Amino acid sequence: MIDTFSILLSHGLVLIACWRLLSRPELDEEPHAAPSEPAQDSPSSDA
Amino acid sequence: MRDIFFLLFLASLLGIAFKRPFLFVLAYAYIDIVSPQRLSYILLNSIPISAITFACAFLAWAAVDDKRDSRFSWRQLLMLLLLILCGYTTSNADFPVEAAHKWDWVWKSLVFAIFLPLTLRTRLRIESLALIMVLCASTIIVTGAIKTVLSGGGYGELNLMVDDNSGLYEGSTISTIAIAIIPLIFWLARYGTIFKPDWRVRIYATALTGACLLIPIGTVTRTGLLCIIFLGGLILWRSEKRILYGSAIAGLALVSIPFLPASFTERMGTIQNYQADQSASTRLEVWKWTLDYVKTHPTGGGFDAYRSNSFTYDAVRTEGPEGNERTVRERITEKERAYHSAYFELLGEQGYPGLIMWLLIHIISLVSTHRIYALYKKRTDSEHAWISPLALALQQGHLIYLLGAVFIGVAYQPFMFMLLALQIGLSTYLGRRRKEERAAPIFPSPTATAESTAA
Repeated sequence: MIDTFSILLSHGLVLIACWRLLSRPELDEEPHAAPSEPAQDSPSSDA
Repeated sequence: MRDIFFLLFLASLLGIAFKRPFLFVLAYAYIDIVSPQRLSYILLNSIPISAITFACAFLAWAAVDDKRDSRFSWRQLLMLLLLILCGYTTSNADFPVEAAHKWDWVWKSLVFAIFLPLTLRTRLRIESLALIMVLCASTIIVTGAIKTVLSGGGYGELNLMVDDNSGLYEGSTISTIAIAIIPLIFWLARYGTIFKPDWRVRIYATALTGACLLIPIGTVTRTGLLCIIFLGGLILWRSEKRILYGSAIAGLALVSIPFLPASFTERMGTIQNYQADQSASTRLEVWKWTLDYVKTHPTGGGFDAYRSNSFTYDAVRTEGPEGNERTVRERITEKERAYHSAYFELLGEQGYPGLIMWLLIHIISLVSTHRIYALYKKRTDSEHAWISPLALALQQGHLIYLLGAVFIGVAYQPFMFMLLALQIGLSTYLGRRRKEERAAPIFPSPTATAESTAA
């Protein structure tokens, strides 16, 4: 019972985390932080 | 039922990984830490899921991942050299069959640690690996903590779901890891972007930290207690509110003593009186034996070389009713005792060259992570605020591991190699970022110039 609870909790959270990563383009490609980029404070560069 | 659950879970994880190949890396980390094939009864045992997932992760990286940003660091080179050395000592091992058995998992641990930093190219990847590592360890920690609260635990008695007492499921190892990840839990709760900091994340992080602190109590391991004390010291050392936190930690420790199970307080009492304790005496004898062994075998004896040891020593203990105790000297002969220390494990198995390489990997990591901490400490803008606390959390976790490693044979523990890989990944990622920032623009904007000079 306790084992099942622990497994469900951690595995559930792992799945949610991986699911959320699917909709995050900055997982694979970050906007380059070159100073010449004007959009320094844009939300995407904050990731 | 559990088999079907794990099968469905893995199928979904690997299924979504086809959309985002980096998830194969996370899936492999999950399999390496949780070992679902050991938790299930039949189905998963018959499929080489670990090899399949690693192959997918590597092929995905080789085929589609952007490799322009990948860097190969000195630490990875040292790990590669250590891997070659381990291969060589295995082929000349004192105990070839046992050595081959250990080599079978050590090489995977090292290869993954060498490969992992190449994939950690973005902040989100670094965060996601840290998160998955913490969540996977929590599978064992949460169950152990709840059982401790309900039953009080006991040395070698706390059931951590798996009976064979190896890997992360071993009491002393999970105690050390549980304490080592506490700083990382706090970092994730504060700077996480996958689970953004809110009240739910804070409650979960607090509960998980409590669970982590319960593991050394449930498994009744003295190493775990030392790690807790060390963590308290590390937090106070870097904290600006030393008095507040110091009083809180002392208060918490005092309040918790009456609630500790008797088995815990009894065993912790033996830290001071090591002569009476067979387990501690054995350690010292094995360590002495190892030092003698490398005098004649400076390049080590391969994995499990300790099997040739045998020694006799006197253990002193007092017995009898209070006020009428007598000292009993007992002659004990032991054979084939494991190293009970990662440092001596390396020395005995890989000799001085192996120990030097291993120590260099750790020292370079500590220094490099400390440099990151110091370099980014003052950069508190939203883009850089997460860096210095992450470096600190990784460094603290690393130091706790190195303390635990004095007393347990965890030299090749895959979880700790992942923590090392995280540090290497962070270091190479930031190296690239700084390089980009230094790249002189033709028409720099005033804000960007101010920021790059702050670095």
